[in-house]
Amino acid sequence: MLDKTIEEIHEALKKKEIRPIDLVEEAFARIEKNKELNAYITLNKEDALKKAKELETKEVGDNLLFGLPIAVKDNIITKDLKTTCASHILENFIPIYNATVVEKLNEKDMIIIGKTNMDEFAMGSSSRTSYFGAPKNPWNKEKISGGSSGGSATTIASRDVLFALGTDTGGSIRQPASYTGIVGMKPTYGRVSRYGLVAFASSLDQIGPMTKNVYENALLLNAIAGPDDKDLTSADKEKEDFTRLIGKDIQGMKIALPNYFMSDIVTEEIRNEVEKTKELLESSGAIVDYVDMKYLDKAVTLYQIIAMGEASSNLARFDGIRYGYATENPKDIEDLYLETRKNGFGKEVKRRIMVGSYLLSGENAKIYYNKALSIRDDMKKEFDKIFKDYDLIIGPTTTTTAYDLTNPMDDPSKSFMDDVLVIPVNMAGLPGLSLPIGFGKNHMPIGLHIIGNSFEEATIYQLASFLEKKLNLDLDPRKENENV
Amino acid sequence: MSNYIPTIGIEVHCELKTKTKIFSNSINGYGQMANSLTNVIDLGYPGTLPTLNKEVLNLAIKAALVLNCKIRRKMHFDRKNYFYPDNPKNYQITQAESPIGYDGYVEIEVNEKKKKIEIEEMHIEEDTCKSTHRGTKTLLDFNRAGVPLIEIVTKPCLESGEEAKLYLEKLKELLFYSDVSDCKMEEGSMRADANVSIRKEVSDPFGTKAEIKNIGSISNVKLSIEKEIERQSKIYDKGETFPPQTRRYDDKLGDTVLMRIKETGNDYRYFPEPDIPYLYITEEMIKEVEKTIPMLPEERKKIYLQKGVSETNAKKLIQNRPLSDYFNTLLEENTNFQTASNLLLGDISAYLNKTEKSIVDTTLTKERFLELIAKIEEQALTSKNLKDILVDVLEKTDTITDIIKNLGIENISDNETLRKIVQQVIKDNPDTVQDYKSGHDRAMKFFMGQVMKQTKGKANPKIATDLLIEELK
Repeated sequence: MLDKTIEEIHEALKKKEIRPIDLVEEAFARIEKNKELNAYITLNKEDALKKAKELETKEVGDNLLFGLPIAVKDNIITKDLKTTCASHILENFIPIYNATVVEKLNEKDMIIIGKTNMDEFAMGSSSRTSYFGAPKNPWNKEKISGGSSGGSATTIASRDVLFALGTDTGGSIRQPASYTGIVGMKPTYGRVSRYGLVAFASSLDQIGPMTKNVYENALLLNAIAGPDDKDLTSADKEKEDFTRLIGKDIQGMKIALPNYFMSDIVTEEIRNEVEKTKELLESSGAIVDYVDMKYLDKAVTLYQIIAMGEASSNLARFDGIRYGYATENPKDIEDLYLETRKNGFGKEVKRRIMVGSYLLSGENAKIYYNKALSIRDDMKKEFDKIFKDYDLIIGPTTTTTAYDLTNPMDDPSKSFMDDVLVIPVNMAGLPGLSLPIGFGKNHMPIGLHIIGNSFEEATIYQLASFLEKKLNLDLDPRKENENV
Repeated sequence: MSNYIPTIGIEVHCELKTKTKIFSNSINGYGQMANSLTNVIDLGYPGTLPTLNKEVLNLAIKAALVLNCKIRRKMHFDRKNYFYPDNPKNYQITQAESPIGYDGYVEIEVNEKKKKIEIEEMHIEEDTCKSTHRGTKTLLDFNRAGVPLIEIVTKPCLESGEEAKLYLEKLKELLFYSDVSDCKMEEGSMRADANVSIRKEVSDPFGTKAEIKNIGSISNVKLSIEKEIERQSKIYDKGETFPPQTRRYDDKLGDTVLMRIKETGNDYRYFPEPDIPYLYITEEMIKEVEKTIPMLPEERKKIYLQKGVSETNAKKLIQNRPLSDYFNTLLEENTNFQTASNLLLGDISAYLNKTEKSIVDTTLTKERFLELIAKIEEQALTSKNLKDILVDVLEKTDTITDIIKNLGIENISDNETLRKIVQQVIKDNPDTVQDYKSGHDRAMKFFMGQVMKQTKGKANPKIATDLLIEELK
């Protein structure tokens, strides 16, 4: 049933041919079958079945999302359901409230099926910093799923469920989406409430939808977007239908392709795919121009300063006093802090907290953090300049296809370079989506990065759905695996 | 004692009188069961975000206005990062870079000379939680966590403990009267720190600073500063020095005690709070707040004196905010204000203290109070009689005239009845008539006493006096 289109499922539910519990049971069966992919940290089996049962007496109406299972990244707070952030320090943390997005999923009568695997506190780009081990790529189990939303990407790509939520601070939705051949959207900063998202870098974090196709992605964004009184950084925007431009022609659409995105930091096969896409767009009546953009090469440096600075402060609250793991029998308060945080956090998280603390120390705050904020403004202005003349910006999502799980992790700056193409979008607070456009030589998916102006998610979906239809790729890794 | 010049700066933390906390909708309350006024935001739960209580902004603007501060139009909050169990997020949201108020002053009077105590800046921040140490354990009460505070920092422009005391009294009066804070030092809603250094000459650089933390009362601020000046003088007199340090005032010892030597460059890793966008304060917002500022003590005093209230009574009234507010409702009326203030500060205050009531809890409406004053003015009520009827005046709603009538203490104001009594008294005391005629004052008092005795105190004194004078001619 879960392989049918969302309209078909909806009709079947409406006609009572199937019940929500059938979908939930099917999802759990698939998750069980794909267990070795390690997509989940916690399954919400009992509660999901109970909720599905309850929904049987409820009117389906015209709510397309009614009764559908959804996976939620494990840094989004779920009441009474363990939320670990893939960290030892929150290994047994059961929250007492719901994130705003979770409340919104509940309003839509969606059913949370489990909490997905990720990099610890979303710090990483291969999900290998997870305390619970890395998820595996459904296209090739030797490969990473990317990160930090690796678990959500894995469960969508392997067709366990139709919907998942990810979070994106520096590419953490789009990069794994690209590696696993799915659609992942990081909405405009402020589009989706961050209340209940365990903060990594507050000025960059954003929750977004991860799905197997563009339409379902826009549907899920419809459900989770909107202003929230509990988040002062959420944008006061009227409700809109993000599917409204899907199917519309792209004739005359003006698209920019920054030269930096097509430089030799990107592998040739990926550049070729993007080039082919450019030609396809041009032959369909769009205008695609190569453009020069300043500051794009500075994004990773800025990201490291801003994200680690903020992270060092955001993660200070994990001290063993009020919740989470605490060391046993500390000698004094100093000992409680030191031992709890030493044992509770993984290596990468500790490294980032230390670097972040250093960057904010004394005069460093002015030299690094404030300077980074000012260059970040310049970068935003550079994007504004492009969007005066263009509707969208495109480029590859990643520089390579998914690499081996066994690749060394000893060079921390290498991991940031995985996200060199996606980070500028977080810096400027813009919406960005990754769409599968082809495969590399090893048949690993390649993603196109589509960047829109602030709050122009609908235009991104317009282009993405156009390409999706034109390319008509077979994006189901299960068939691929059968062939092998 | 010493011939050093002290330099003192004062930092005051003041809890704002809001209904809810600064960044959450928990109730801002004192004296409740521990941890009963908290939610996930106050506890710094993962994923929570601050919201901003608009009331805080309004009260902070108000405070800035009454402290004559300039108000910043664009401002933001900052995170002050440090680990301490009373700090739930291990960072405190404060304003380091862009305090809401700056360049203000409070005027005090020292030795009959006016002096402006300059205010460097005034900023908004959240309070920490309250920790109680029990042996090796520490108990945390998060009711206070997230209570809105303003911190008011003076320039190092005070020169004595006495000045510090006068400044704090004035500051307290201003913030209390403008409804910004309760300013109860005993409940911790107002807390003061003093920075003290001394030097030989004005031309010398400032001496080493000692900070006296969290002093529990205004009088102790004065005492601790004086003790600290004495301590530092003795060290310098011996030709010795001391390192910058934090001290506290020990009430029992009557002296300051070392808490810790200050480490160089305390590193709070300040950076702009990313969860709260920039705030813009408009002219309209300031105008709206301005309208809510009640009449301040200075102005009250001026008006009271103009209305004929004695200096002593004016001061006493202002010290009692509810009475002063009540008194203000009379200002448009035509009455004897000195009598009004006497009544409020005398018998009525005694009643309020005894019954632990506030003036607004009594039945004394403005109209009835004016009637009461009138009765006293026309001497229809003696002070003894006033005491007899006071409870009825303050607890019943009858007119004052009716109360007087009902209690049968109505004065004998009937001329003919009184005249007969007066004549009898004169007749019975021919010796005193002689005294009176030779100009003895006490003769009149004697006659009055006799008249009162005959009437059991009910004679209208004014009429009786007039009749006596007439009959003695």
